[in-house]
Amino acid sequence: MVALPWGRGTERDATGDRSERARLTILALVVFVMLAAVASLGTGAAGVSLGDVLAKWITGEALSLRERVVLFDIRLPRLLTGMLVGASLAVSGAVMQGLFRNPLADPGIVGVGAGAGLGAVLAIVLGAFLPPAVLAFTGMHLVPLAAFFGGWATTLILYRVSTRAGRTSVATMLLAGIALGALSGALTGILVYIADDQQLRDLTFWGLGSLAGASWAKLAAAAPIMMLALLAAPMLARALNGLALGEGAAAHLGIAVQRMKNLAILTVAAATGAAVAVSGGIGFIGIVVPHLLRLVMGPDHRFLLPAAALLGAGLLLLADIISRLIIAPAELPIGIVTAVLGGPVFLWILLRRRGIVDM
Amino acid sequence: MLEARDISVTLGRKQVLYGAGLRAKPGATTVIVGPNGSGKTTLLRAITGDLACRGSVWLDREDMRALPPHALAECRAVLPQASVLAFPFTVHEVVRLGLTGRIALRPDAAQLPARALDRVGLAGYGGRFFQELSGGEQARAQLARVLLQVWEPVQDGVPRWLFLDEPVAALDIGHQLQVMYLARRFAQQGGGVVAVMHDLNLTAMFADHVMLMLDGRVLAQGAVREVLTEQNLSRAYGCRLRVSSPPAQGATYILPQAAEIA
Repeated sequence: MVALPWGRGTERDATGDRSERARLTILALVVFVMLAAVASLGTGAAGVSLGDVLAKWITGEALSLRERVVLFDIRLPRLLTGMLVGASLAVSGAVMQGLFRNPLADPGIVGVGAGAGLGAVLAIVLGAFLPPAVLAFTGMHLVPLAAFFGGWATTLILYRVSTRAGRTSVATMLLAGIALGALSGALTGILVYIADDQQLRDLTFWGLGSLAGASWAKLAAAAPIMMLALLAAPMLARALNGLALGEGAAAHLGIAVQRMKNLAILTVAAATGAAVAVSGGIGFIGIVVPHLLRLVMGPDHRFLLPAAALLGAGLLLLADIISRLIIAPAELPIGIVTAVLGGPVFLWILLRRRGIVDM
Repeated sequence: MLEARDISVTLGRKQVLYGAGLRAKPGATTVIVGPNGSGKTTLLRAITGDLACRGSVWLDREDMRALPPHALAECRAVLPQASVLAFPFTVHEVVRLGLTGRIALRPDAAQLPARALDRVGLAGYGGRFFQELSGGEQARAQLARVLLQVWEPVQDGVPRWLFLDEPVAALDIGHQLQVMYLARRFAQQGGGVVAVMHDLNLTAMFADHVMLMLDGRVLAQGAVREVLTEQNLSRAYGCRLRVSSPPAQGATYILPQAAEIA
C-alpha cells in the first residue's frame, strides 16, 4: 500500500476537486516569488541596499555608478538566472516524474544532470575542434546546446533501459541512472585530464555549481532554451495526467502517447541541460518541489507544472540568499545549500514511500 | 457497425489469434466469452488498438486504426482490466480525466464527474483517494471515468462504443448486476457495447450477441441460444456442461442446491 499524503478525511474537500485550492496555491506562490526576488535584489556583499536605491528613485536622484553596476550587472542577471534555473529544475523534475510515473525520478538523481554536464564539458574542451561553420552558427549557445544533447541522450537511454511495455521499473531506472551517471562522470574526468590550462579555468568556473558567475552573456546563452522548455511543459499537462493511468489508458483518452513522451523527454533534457550549463549541478530542487506541491494541491499536472516553476524559482532564490549570507562576505556554492536542505527531504520521501521502490 | 476482420496476433513467438473476426451492432451488447488463454482479451486489445495485429477493424466503414487518438477517444472508451495509478489522485480527479473532447465543453461539465460516480454507485466517494478504495470500488471508479468519456451513447446521430475488459471480475453480485444494467442501458440508448466476460450466467442474461472463442479462433457467434449450447460449451471449456433454462415466470422452481438440511 502506498503511503498517502493526508490521513483519512483531513482538509480534503468532500467533492475531491482540488482545483480551487491549486489556484490559491499558485497565487500564493506568485507573491512568494516576488518577495524572494526583492530580497535577492537587496542582498549581497557590496552593501547596496534596496532602501537607499528606492529613496533615490523616489527623490529623482541619480544612482551612483557603483549602485548601478551592483544592481543591474551583478544582482539582476543573478536574480533572473536563479529564477529560470530553479523553475527549469523543478519543472523538469515534475515532467520526468510524470513520464516515468514515479515520484522518485529526478534528472539530478538518475544521471541526466551528469549527462548534461558531460555535454557541457565536451563543448568546453573539444568545442574548438568543431568545424568553424558549426561554431559560428551556435556561437555562445554551444555549451548549453551541448548540455541539452547530453541530457537528452541520457534521458532516452534511461527510458529505453527501464521501460518495458509501458511499465517503468523503478529499481532499473535508479540503477541505470547510477551507471549512466558514473559513466558520464568518468568521461568528464578524462576530458578534464586532457584539457589545457585555459579550458581548466573555464571548467572550474563552470563546475562551481553556483549562481555567482551569472552574467547577462551567460543568461542570454541559456535563457532561450530554458524558456522554450518552460513554455512547452504546460502542453504536456493533460498527457501526464493520462499517463498516470498507464500508457494504454492514456491513448484511449485521446492522447498521442508516443509524441507526448518524446516531447516530455526533450523538455526534461532542455530544461536540465540549460540549467546545468549555466549553473553547474544544483540538486534536489527537481524532486523536493513537485513532492511538496503534490502534498498541498494534488498531482494534477495542469496546476502542478506552473506551481513547480514558481516554487522552484522562489526556493532557488532563497537558497541563493542563504549561500550569500551564511559565510559572508564569502559565498557557499548554492549546490551545497540545496543538498543540505533537500537531502533530508528526499530521505523522508523515501522512508514514507518505501513500498514504491519495490515496484 | 463495428467489424473486425481476420485479426491475427503474435505475442513474442506464440501466435495467439488466428484470423478471428467480430461483428457488433450499436444498440446491442456483444459479449466475448471463452476459456482462459482463448484470446478474448487479446482480441479486445487488438480491436481497441492496444496491440499490433494483422487484419482490419472497421467502424462504420472507417478504418479504426487509421483514426488519430483524439478522434478515436470521441467515439469509444475502453475499460482496462486493472490499472495501477501512479500518483495520489482523488476519485474525482480520476473520473474527471474522462472529461475529454467535446463533452468538456458542455456547460454542466463540472457536475458530470459527480453524476458519473453516482451512476456506478459511488456517490460521495469523490473526495477519497483512489488508492484507498477496495479493488471493486476502484473498478467502478474507472467505469465512471469511462462512462463519462462517452456520456452520450449517441452523439450527433453517431453511436459511440464502450469496450469493457472483464468489467465485473472484481465485483460482488449486486454490483455485477448494476454494472451489467449500466452496459445494457448504454446499448438501449443506441450505443454499442463490447465486453469480455468470464461469467456465463451474466452473459446469458445480458448479451444480445455472443462470441465464443477457443484457442485463438471463433468457435461460434450469434444469439445466446445458438452459441451457449451444451455441445459448444463442453468443447470450449473441456468439461461436460449442462445448460438449463429457468422456467417461465410464476412457475414454482426449487433448486436442490439451495436446500439446507437441519
